[in-house]
Amino acid sequence: MLVPLGLMLRQGLMVNGLPSIEPLQGALGNRSVARALWNSLDSAAVSASLSLMLGAGLALIVGLTNLRRKAVFTFLILIPMMIPPHVTAIAWAQALGPSSPLLGAVGLAPPLGSPHPLYGRGGVVALLAVQHMPLVFLVVLAALRALPREIAEAARVSGAGTARLLAKIILPLLIPSLLAAYALAFVSALGNFGIPALLGIPGRYTTLPVLIWQRLSSFGPSMLADVAVMSALMALIAIALVLVQSRLSARSRAALIGPPQPPLRLELGRARPLAEVAMILLLLVILGLPLVALIGTALVPTYGVALTPQTLTLANFEQVLFRQSVTARAFLNSTIAAGVAALVLAGLGALLARATFGASGPQRGIGQAVSTLAETAYAIPGIVISIAFILTFLRPLPLIGVSLYNTLTLIVLAYLCAFFAVALKPVSAACLQLDPALDEAARVAGAGWGLRMGRIFLPLVAPAAAAGGMLVFLTAYNEITVSALLWSSGTETIGTVIYNYENGGYTVLAAAMSTVTVVATVTLMALLDLLGRRLPSGVVPWRL
Amino acid sequence: MKTPMIATLAAALLAGPALAQTADVSGRLVLYTSQPNQDAQRTVDAFNAVYPNVTVDWIRDGTTQVMARLEAEFAAGSPQPDVLLIADTVVMEGLEAQGRLLAYPEADVSAYDPALMDPERHYFSTKLITTGIIYNTSAPFVPESWSDLLRPEAQGQIAMPSPLASGAATIHMVALTSHPDLGWAYYEGLAAQGTNPQGGNGGVYNAVAGGEQMFGMVVDFLPIREIPNGAPVGFVFPEEGVSAVTEPVAILSTAQNVPAAKAFVDFLISPEGQQLAADMGYLPAHPAITAPAGFPAMDTIQLLEFDPAKALENAEEYRLRFVEIFGG
Repeated sequence: MLVPLGLMLRQGLMVNGLPSIEPLQGALGNRSVARALWNSLDSAAVSASLSLMLGAGLALIVGLTNLRRKAVFTFLILIPMMIPPHVTAIAWAQALGPSSPLLGAVGLAPPLGSPHPLYGRGGVVALLAVQHMPLVFLVVLAALRALPREIAEAARVSGAGTARLLAKIILPLLIPSLLAAYALAFVSALGNFGIPALLGIPGRYTTLPVLIWQRLSSFGPSMLADVAVMSALMALIAIALVLVQSRLSARSRAALIGPPQPPLRLELGRARPLAEVAMILLLLVILGLPLVALIGTALVPTYGVALTPQTLTLANFEQVLFRQSVTARAFLNSTIAAGVAALVLAGLGALLARATFGASGPQRGIGQAVSTLAETAYAIPGIVISIAFILTFLRPLPLIGVSLYNTLTLIVLAYLCAFFAVALKPVSAACLQLDPALDEAARVAGAGWGLRMGRIFLPLVAPAAAAGGMLVFLTAYNEITVSALLWSSGTETIGTVIYNYENGGYTVLAAAMSTVTVVATVTLMALLDLLGRRLPSGVVPWRL
Repeated sequence: MKTPMIATLAAALLAGPALAQTADVSGRLVLYTSQPNQDAQRTVDAFNAVYPNVTVDWIRDGTTQVMARLEAEFAAGSPQPDVLLIADTVVMEGLEAQGRLLAYPEADVSAYDPALMDPERHYFSTKLITTGIIYNTSAPFVPESWSDLLRPEAQGQIAMPSPLASGAATIHMVALTSHPDLGWAYYEGLAAQGTNPQGGNGGVYNAVAGGEQMFGMVVDFLPIREIPNGAPVGFVFPEEGVSAVTEPVAILSTAQNVPAAKAFVDFLISPEGQQLAADMGYLPAHPAITAPAGFPAMDTIQLLEFDPAKALENAEEYRLRFVEIFGG
C-alpha cells in the first residue's frame, strides 16, 4: 500500500531528486486549483453534514424505536450506495430534467431547453449527501447495536423521558461514532468523481477529482506530476481530518461493558404511523425517483424517446444479459474482487483494532499511523490509485518474477489499499467504546491471547467489523475509478462495463446494466440474509 | 509522393496470395483502442479472419483512460501495447514528438487524401468522425450552418463538448477558429449565447436527445446511429464544413511484434478494413468506399482545414484562449 502511494507522490513532489513543497505551493497559487480545492472542501463539508443528519436520524429511528418492518427499511436505505455514483447522477439528471417521464406525467417537467435544476453546487451537494447517507446510517446503526440496554433502562427507571434519554445518554455515547461517520462521509464526498463530473462540470462547479481528471485528459509527460501534486493536496486534507477526528474522539470517549444487544424499542405511540409514512416518502424520493428514471431509460430503444406502450422494449436487457458475454464475467469478477476485499479488510480491521486496543506507546502510534495512511488512500481519487498501481506493479515482482499487471489480483490489492479506511472506521469507533476492564479481567483469569480474542474481543466488535466489511463490499462492488486503468479483457468489473457503455454513447445499455446490477445486489443481500441466521447477532445489519 | 510503381507493388502484395503473406505473421498482438466494445470486437474478429495465427489481446477504454494508462506504463518503463487505435492525430503527433511511434514508410496510403496521413508515416487515419450540428426535433429551427447557432432563437440552447475534456472538441475548436469567416469571434459569439461547454460528446448528445438543450456540436455517429431507433434528434453537416477526428492507428517504437502490428495497420487501411468501418456506421477515410446509410455522399462533405502538428504546437495557447472566453 505504501509503495504505490509513495511512488505516485514522488512523481509530483520531487524537484531535482529532492523532496520539496514548491510544487504544492505552485499548485495552490494556481487559480483553478485553488477554486477546485475550495469547491471540494465546501461540497464535502456541506454534503457530509446533510448525510450525517439524514443517516443518523434514520439510524436512530430504526435502531431505537418500535417502527414496523425495520429489516425492509434498513435494506432499502442501503440501496442508494449500491448504485455507482455516476449512474446515480445520470438517473437523477433524467428524473428531474426536461424530458423526465415522471415529472412530465404530472405536468411539472421543466420546459424543454431550460437549464437543469441539478447542475451546479446545489445538485452536487444534494446527491453526494444521498449517496453517502447509507455510510452514516450503517456506522451509527452498528454503534447503537453496541449500546448496552442496561444504561438506557437504568435511565428509564430513574424517570428519564425519551427526549432526555436521547440527549443525555444515547447521543453522548454515540459521539465517537457520529464523528467517525461524518469523517467517512466527508472523505467519501471529497474523493467522489462521478457526481461532480456529471452535475458539477455543466454548472461550472469543479472539484479536485474532476480537475485531476481534466489534467489527465490533457495528456503529455507533465501530466503525472500535475496529478500527483493535486493528489498530495487531497492526501493532506485527509490527514488533517484524521488528526482532528482522533483529537475530538479521544475527548468524548466513554467505555462500555457488555455484548451487542438487540436494540431498544422506544414506543412511538401515535407517532408511529407518521414516522413510517415519513420514511416511506423519503425512500420514495431518494430511491424511487432515480430508480424509476433508470429503469425507464433502460426500457426505451434509444435515449430521449418517451416511454409509451409502443416504444417499450426489452432489447437492452436482452443485449446486456444474453448477447454480451462481458456482463456475466463482470459480475463474477466484481463479486470475487469485492468479496475478497471485504473479508480481508473486515479481518484486518478487527486485528488492527485489537492491536491498538488498550495498547499504549509505540503500538498505539503504529495503529494510528496505519489508520491515517488508510484514510489518505481513501481520499485520493481512485484513478490516481490506479496509476500508482501501474507504476508499482507493471514490472514483474522482484524475487518471484511474476507480473500482476492485468490480473484480478491487482484489482483486489488496489481495493484493499483504497477501501481499508471504510472497513476500519466502524471497528475503531466501536473499539473506542470498549472497556479494557473486560480484557484485563479475562487476562487475570488466565485466558491467553487467542481465547481473549475469540471469546471477548471478536464478539464485541463483530457487528462493527461486519458493517465495515459490508461497506467495503458495497463500495467496491460498483466502484469505477479504482479499476478504471487496471482492468483488461477478462478482468472487467461492473463499474468499468457500465462506464464503457455510457462512454461509447450507449446510455440505454448503461441504464439496463445498472438496473441488472441493482437487482443482483439485492439478490446478494438476500443471500447474505439467509446466511445471517447463523452469524452472531448484529452482523447482518438489517437482521434486528 | 510515392512512385506509382511501389504503390502498385504494394497493392499487388496486399491483394495477392493472402496466405503466403499471413504465414509468417503470428504470435501475440497487444492493442489499445478507444473504439466502443462491439466495434473493437468486430475489428479484431475481421483481422483474425485474415490473420488467424495472431492472438489479439485488446483493451478498450475512453481515450483519457487509455492515455493515462499508457503514460503510467511509459513512466514505469514498460509500455505494453504493440498498436494503438485511438483518438486523433494531435495525440499521435504528441507521441511522435516523444519518439514513441515507429515509422512504417512502406504502408500503402496512395488512395488517401494526403492531409489525412502523417508525411513521416508514423500514424494512419482509419475513419472520419466529423463534428457537426445536432438538433432536437422540437427545436425552433433547423440549422444549416455554424453561424446559425448565433441566431437569437438559439440563445441558451446550445450544448458543446469542452476541449478541456474531449480531443474531438479540441480539433473542432482549432478548425473552426482557423476558418476565415468564423475565427475566435465565433467562439466569443457562442459564449455570448450563454453556451456552457461541458464534458465530452456523450454528454452533449444526451443533453440534446433528452431535451435539455435544443442544439449541440457533436460527433456524427452518435445521432446517425440512434436516429433509426427513433431518437428525437437530427444531424446536419453545416455548409462551412465539418472538422474530423480520424482515429489513427500507430505502431509503438517499443512494439514486441512488429510484423503483426504492420499487418494490423495494413488491414485497417486496406479496402476491406475501410469497408468494415463503413459497416460499423462510420465514415470511411478511403475515398472509394461508400459511406454508410444516414450519411450524405462523401464528395458533398466538406472538411475544414486542419494541421495536427501546428495544433499540437499551439495547444496551450488555444486552451488558454478558450478558458479566457468561457471561463474554463
